[in-house]
Amino acid sequence: MTESTQTTGHLQPDEINAFVDGELSVPGAETVQQHLNDCHACALRVLAASQLKTAVARAGQRFVSSPETLALLAAQLRQPAPAPSGLNPPPPLAPQHSARIVPTRRASAAFIAAGAAIAAALLIAVSLFTWSQFHQANTLAAELLDQHLAMLSGGAVPQVVSTDRHTVKPWFQGRLPFSFNLPDADALPPDTTLRGADLVFLERQPAALLIFTIHKHEVSVFVTQNAGEFRIAPRAARSGFAIRSATAAELRLTAVSDVNPADLDALVNSLVRVQ
Amino acid sequence: MPSPDPSASPRSGASFELLALPLLPALLSHACWLCQNHSEAEDLVQETISKSLRAFDSFEPGTNFKAWVFRVLRNTFLTSRTGIAASRTVFLEDHPDLLETTSDSTTPEDHLIRLDNQAAVHSALDQLQPALREVLLLCDVEELRYKEIAAILDVPIGTVMSRISRARRALQQLLQSQFRESL
Repeated sequence: MTESTQTTGHLQPDEINAFVDGELSVPGAETVQQHLNDCHACALRVLAASQLKTAVARAGQRFVSSPETLALLAAQLRQPAPAPSGLNPPPPLAPQHSARIVPTRRASAAFIAAGAAIAAALLIAVSLFTWSQFHQANTLAAELLDQHLAMLSGGAVPQVVSTDRHTVKPWFQGRLPFSFNLPDADALPPDTTLRGADLVFLERQPAALLIFTIHKHEVSVFVTQNAGEFRIAPRAARSGFAIRSATAAELRLTAVSDVNPADLDALVNSLVRVQ
Repeated sequence: MPSPDPSASPRSGASFELLALPLLPALLSHACWLCQNHSEAEDLVQETISKSLRAFDSFEPGTNFKAWVFRVLRNTFLTSRTGIAASRTVFLEDHPDLLETTSDSTTPEDHLIRLDNQAAVHSALDQLQPALREVLLLCDVEELRYKEIAAILDVPIGTVMSRISRARRALQQLLQSQFRESL
């Protein structure tokens, strides 16, 4: 026990804290325990400190993250760290000319069988690839529509509510690994207004969600990096909503709305022009 | 000489994932307390993961990974706009003359009664000075040792002890004033 404890006859606050936090050495904890056996006032203080600690531990866990957020972060953990230069995979080999082989009759039958097998495997691979592309595009279209409907529901207020492009664009600084331009209000198609923006994730990649209105229709425009895996048809429709996608300066702009598709094209074109 | 297989290395992305994955809820929760904003907290944790992965080579095996990654989280927070504003807090232990004397007139029984009220504890925790709340959360919620908290906050262990002491006293005083108001 400390000198001051010996003077006052009671435990000091630091000692009580160290005791309830399990920070005292074994002999130190034994000495405190011995004192608590004889001192009712200190025993009550230690009990109060322990209960306060438990209450803080309980209250401190009030922020519970959604499974979606945790899944996104877990996916980020799984991304491979940038490989050192020495570990880069070798470049694909250039096609090499091989010596011409003249097959014998027996060997030619074997070659025909092997050729058929290769053709079948190739067909399966192409089919799988096409299906995978279609499936991926379909999934992405569904994800885009979900995000647009969530925005329409009004449950999710955009983080930036502004019609000013000089407010909306800077908000994304430090939030996105890329930058994009926004046209002046005058350069937008008639009766088209920027309303705000938000940061969203599409296929686990960060994206800028720009919210416009055309006449009285809401439009979501997703700006992403034009990565190879982001595949969607330039013109698509899903559940009565039109989807338009275009690329510009390493960016992909994808718009979703129930507005007249020609108006949607005009908005996408105005955005493409300023990139 | 053949290049080492990165996946076989104890410092590989796979081992980072194994260590970091169970800590994601705690990192997010602590980030929410620091930023007081869910969206900013998620950004903060993303950046923390990214920085930690890049700096994983500097992590000493055998030491506490949780304390290490929480330190990265805090340093990342301090360089954010919210963090810069928060870091302007003056720590009273650096100014002993400003430290109030203990004038706690409550009895331990009073504290026991008030702790039953979770809403009161939540409110008191919200009102606590951020630097004091931070140390208390690292100690009581994250169950880190004083030594580890000192490393995260980059302060001497004595400062951790004095902050914990002040934090608990302040929390008790806040609970006491709430109790008086409710009478």
